[in-house]
Amino acid sequence: MVEYAGARRSRARVRNLEVDAGALVRRFDWVLFGAVAGLVGYGLYLVAGITRDDVFGDPDYYVVRQAAYAAAGGVGMLAVSLLDPDVYRRYWRQLYGVAAVLILLVIPFGTEVRGSQRWLGVGSFTFQPSELGKLIVALAVAGFLADRARRVGEVRIVLGAIAVAVFPALLVFVQPDIGTSLVYGAVLGAALFVAGARWLHIGALVSIIAIAGALVVWLLPSVGVDVLEPYQSDRLTAFVDRSSDPQGASYNVQQSILAVGAGGLRGRGVVNATQTNLDYLPEHATDFAFASLAEQRGFLGAAILLLLYLLVVWRGLRVATYATDAFSAIAAGAIVFALLFQVFVNVGMTMGIAPVTGIPLPFVSVGGSSLVTNLLAVGVLQAIHARGRRRW
Amino acid sequence: MTAKVVNRRIRLLFVLLALALAGTLARAVWLQGVRAAPLSKLAATQQRQTVELPARRGTIFDRNGVPLALGEQATTVYADPTQVSSPRVVALAAEKTLGLDAESLFPKLLDRSTSFVYLRRKADSTDAEALRQRDLAGVGFYTEERRSYPQGAVGAQVLGFAGADNKGLAGLELQLDDVLSGTPGRETVIRDPFGRVVDVLSETEERQGRDVFLTLDHRIQANTEAVLRSTVRRWGAKSATAVVLDPRTGGLLAMATVPTFDANRFAETKPELQRNRTVSDTYEPGSTFKLIPIAGALSEGLVTPQSAFTLATTIKVADREISEHEPRATVRMTVADIVAQSSNIGAITLAQLLGSRRLASWVDRFGFGAATGIDFPGESQGIVLPLERWSGSTIGNLPIGHGIAVTPVQMAAAYAAVANDGVWLRPHLVDHVVGGARARVERRRILSKDIAAQLSTMLTGVVAEGGTGTAAAIPGYHVAGKTGTAAKPLPDGSGYSTSKYVASFVGFVPASRPRLVILVTVDEPTTIWGGVVAAPAFQELARFALQYLEVPPDDPASAATETP
Repeated sequence: MVEYAGARRSRARVRNLEVDAGALVRRFDWVLFGAVAGLVGYGLYLVAGITRDDVFGDPDYYVVRQAAYAAAGGVGMLAVSLLDPDVYRRYWRQLYGVAAVLILLVIPFGTEVRGSQRWLGVGSFTFQPSELGKLIVALAVAGFLADRARRVGEVRIVLGAIAVAVFPALLVFVQPDIGTSLVYGAVLGAALFVAGARWLHIGALVSIIAIAGALVVWLLPSVGVDVLEPYQSDRLTAFVDRSSDPQGASYNVQQSILAVGAGGLRGRGVVNATQTNLDYLPEHATDFAFASLAEQRGFLGAAILLLLYLLVVWRGLRVATYATDAFSAIAAGAIVFALLFQVFVNVGMTMGIAPVTGIPLPFVSVGGSSLVTNLLAVGVLQAIHARGRRRW
Repeated sequence: MTAKVVNRRIRLLFVLLALALAGTLARAVWLQGVRAAPLSKLAATQQRQTVELPARRGTIFDRNGVPLALGEQATTVYADPTQVSSPRVVALAAEKTLGLDAESLFPKLLDRSTSFVYLRRKADSTDAEALRQRDLAGVGFYTEERRSYPQGAVGAQVLGFAGADNKGLAGLELQLDDVLSGTPGRETVIRDPFGRVVDVLSETEERQGRDVFLTLDHRIQANTEAVLRSTVRRWGAKSATAVVLDPRTGGLLAMATVPTFDANRFAETKPELQRNRTVSDTYEPGSTFKLIPIAGALSEGLVTPQSAFTLATTIKVADREISEHEPRATVRMTVADIVAQSSNIGAITLAQLLGSRRLASWVDRFGFGAATGIDFPGESQGIVLPLERWSGSTIGNLPIGHGIAVTPVQMAAAYAAVANDGVWLRPHLVDHVVGGARARVERRRILSKDIAAQLSTMLTGVVAEGGTGTAAAIPGYHVAGKTGTAAKPLPDGSGYSTSKYVASFVGFVPASRPRLVILVTVDEPTTIWGGVVAAPAFQELARFALQYLEVPPDDPASAATETP
């Protein structure tokens, strides 16, 4: 039985950080690299179409900005992939603290957009700490669990991991940003699952989340306690009961389904995508990006995107199996799951099979924080791969 | 914790994620493959909207081109309660600018279950502009056409009105609705979710409503109404009607019913005032009807104007004994005298000479008991007893205008036939529709030219010295006419009122070359005599119209005698 080195090494000497960059680069997962590069490039192509009519007189406004973020994120990804992941295990508390402070700063200093306060503005540049939080929570929970890998079957360890994830999730929840706090929850679940938590505990956790969700969305409002703003619960329940309010939240879902369906097999092209161009599709550059691309590029275009995600899942989880330490394995699993969780919720909501929550479509939705964070996360996967077991 | 466990779980995770991706892909296949056609159709229908382009409603002009009914720009003001930020502010602003009641408006603005509430339909554009200046959220405006009647009360019952949706609901507005309303156009517009028009796809031009010129003259109409008003006031009458028509064409120059009202307030007016009684209501004509048996007897060659009869003080017909209006001794009268003095016994004697069957056919021939076919909705055909239902006394009632109900227009048309050399013309109000040909006026000869001339001459005797209608005389003109004084039938049908009468006068002028036929009826005047009540009104109407139409006098001698 193979034990992870990290489990024994937790208090041992620091691994040499001075590495041979050339050697590391040679040990990248080039398939993963190619898949991500493809996603980013394809995403830019999609964004160019989706946002063509969004800024009057400047059809390339968003795609140029997005390309700049992609370039910055690419540099970040390379830098991160050269860094020993063990650094995150050792310093996860500091990283976690910085992320928590940034998310907290949003509360007094944040910029409000459409009723939600999620962004920190520095000059004309805005930054969404909760996006970066997705990666840091994954690293933090992985760090917490890796240090206690032998006791991961104990309830208090599971509860500790929950506490690590729930605190930032709550901070994000009050912004309000239900979608991102859900992602934090998904990160937690994936980390516990990969770390080998007992099925009983995982089952209990899932049940509790389900019951709490039902309480918040349906039961408490029915006895007069409103935890969520009405619009939030409308959005969450709209996909279950689509006829409840044709003018409200389900309107968006309806429009989104129409857009996806109207795309057909080959898509309507950029010019004829009326659902997108006439703004019937709300938030088509961000939350409903998938619907918009599905309308413009059709099933073929959407399928290409989904297959690229599948490639990332395969290679990402393969990285986790190559990990030489528990932290790397847990972090890799959590990162890949978080990425795909976002894909499913985003795509699912645009097709009416998931609740409407503001979760971006990884590598596609317009937004620098999300794109850069996802690229950094892939950098972490590459770093793990480069130091993983040699199987080649 | 072992790598083995981790790897097993990661493989599980991979299976889970792959399944989820497959599910997503399946959903995409369903939406984009199977459901693609209906969904894209749905997307298209919600973005496209066919809107109606309203057609302008045609203007109604009088014969001189003076507008009597026209569309003017008005602004409809509405509110979207879901967009109104402050119902209180909006309610108060609407009260101030549009004169609405803020109290009653306020709850409507609070009701967010609807997104459309009229604040005021077709408001005055300047008032609406004042509200627009406030720039209130949730208040919207659009332009609509509002029907306006610039002449106010003039011809109100004739014009009728067009409702809020610009549809003719009464009077000529109803009669001419097809012509006036035109055909709305259609266009398909592409809208964004906020209802803004992004693109216009196809368009059918609207066909504007056509303008209509009437035979009415607004000045004669106005004068007619004024004269009727003063007549009603002077004689304490309930109401009065008058018809002024041109016997050469059948065109009506005026058609008045008093009391009147402001045509702009048609809908708020009591229904009984809305009726154009010259067309829709009937009356028992009384002596003006004597024209018919006399015309019949002359035409059948039974008598000449000079034929003389010895008339007793009363005449017995079946169970009834009929006398004259005023007692007299037994006299000998010519047919002309019978007309001039309106002898009941004379008229009945001539009718008896004619016989029931021929009398009935002459009643038909003059157009009584049948609609004239005037271009006005709701025409009454009057009530004429069919021959087979005549009783023994009918031959004593009918010749003197009892037991028969006629409309003022029927009676005026009958006298117009005499004035028009014996040719009856269908009375009408529409001269022509712009862009259309003048309709051919239905005509039929009912009298020979000679008989018409004889009748005309005899009718001038009514107005001459010794006649019953001297009050109708106009200096400078020969006037032909006939007075009428008829007791009104009791509402229960049991007989005739002894106090309620309809006084009337119908005649034409100048008698030698008639230009005007004028009928005046006065309902329940305090003094009952047609020669006293209605003849002066006729005279006033005729004088005005003759002067206004610059009709040359045909009897300058009589004018000279009046001016010393």
